[in-house]
Amino acid sequence: MDKNMKTIKTGLLESLPLSIAISTYGLSYGVLANEANLGLFAVMAMSLFVFSGSVQMVVVAMISAGSSFGSVLITSILLNLRNLLYGAGLAEGLAPAKKWKWLLAFGVSDEPYVLGSSRFHKYGPDPLYFGVVTGTFYLAWIVASFIGAIIGNEIDSQKWGLDLAFPVTFVALLIPSLKERPIVATALTAVLITTVLEYLFPGNQFTIIIAGIVSPLIGLYLKGGPNNA
Amino acid sequence: MLNHWFLIGFLSVTTYLSRIIGLEFMAGQQMSPTLRLYFQYVPIGIITALIMKQVLIPGEGQLSISVPVLVGCISTAIAIKVIKVFLPSVAIGVLFGLLVRHFL
Repeated sequence: MDKNMKTIKTGLLESLPLSIAISTYGLSYGVLANEANLGLFAVMAMSLFVFSGSVQMVVVAMISAGSSFGSVLITSILLNLRNLLYGAGLAEGLAPAKKWKWLLAFGVSDEPYVLGSSRFHKYGPDPLYFGVVTGTFYLAWIVASFIGAIIGNEIDSQKWGLDLAFPVTFVALLIPSLKERPIVATALTAVLITTVLEYLFPGNQFTIIIAGIVSPLIGLYLKGGPNNA
Repeated sequence: MLNHWFLIGFLSVTTYLSRIIGLEFMAGQQMSPTLRLYFQYVPIGIITALIMKQVLIPGEGQLSISVPVLVGCISTAIAIKVIKVFLPSVAIGVLFGLLVRHFL
């Protein structure tokens, strides 16, 4: 019992700084989703049942841009591919949870993966710790989404520049990732592909999917190239 | 609006499936490092394309650039590099974009 309390305390303490960061994303998501005319119930339903910052932000941006239903679905599937890796990486550490694993699976995403895998590496399997971390992040995400949606509903979007919030939020998410040459090359290729496709086929629904599928190939090529071998 | 609920239902199911499949069925499986890297690069390509879709304004046979959006993006990029804090960086980008929109 004492050990469990200690694990809960550690989980709460270690997840708190990231919860603040997640809250800021959640706040942005709430505002942007409201801007995309999703409605409060839909904004909250997405946060409650999907619980994925990247998927939710991208989907809301695509809805705002008038993307087709099909292209939004394909893009979301592409974005979710990395969860396969996270799940595989966390499987051993969550193995003692047995049937509860199906509930804990809900937390398989970027931030819980980072904390969970680091904990399992140091102390071995610990489903309780992962549950506490996921629960804390989930609560932060839900509350922040709600506040963002309420705030967004109360203010004039053009006057306050909320339409600008979409691109600048994505820039703030993207820039810290651009640390290696292949990643920068992936981003630059996506810039090129999007520009060419928007010129040739303005407003094309498949631009984002094509950029998402093709541009990583250039990053991969550079990663495997002679200078990086 | 009905489409939004279909979308939320679909996203809920597919996102959960991507999580549980990794956890239950891919554990212990060897995955190619190339495929692993590819999965990591996909969000970079998608997010960049989304930014560019907002910066570019397609017209009849030509492309123009939304200067307020471009200035907002550059301001945020510099801010996040310098202060490394998410929300203030977003606020700075919106502020500069708004200033450009109103004064230029």
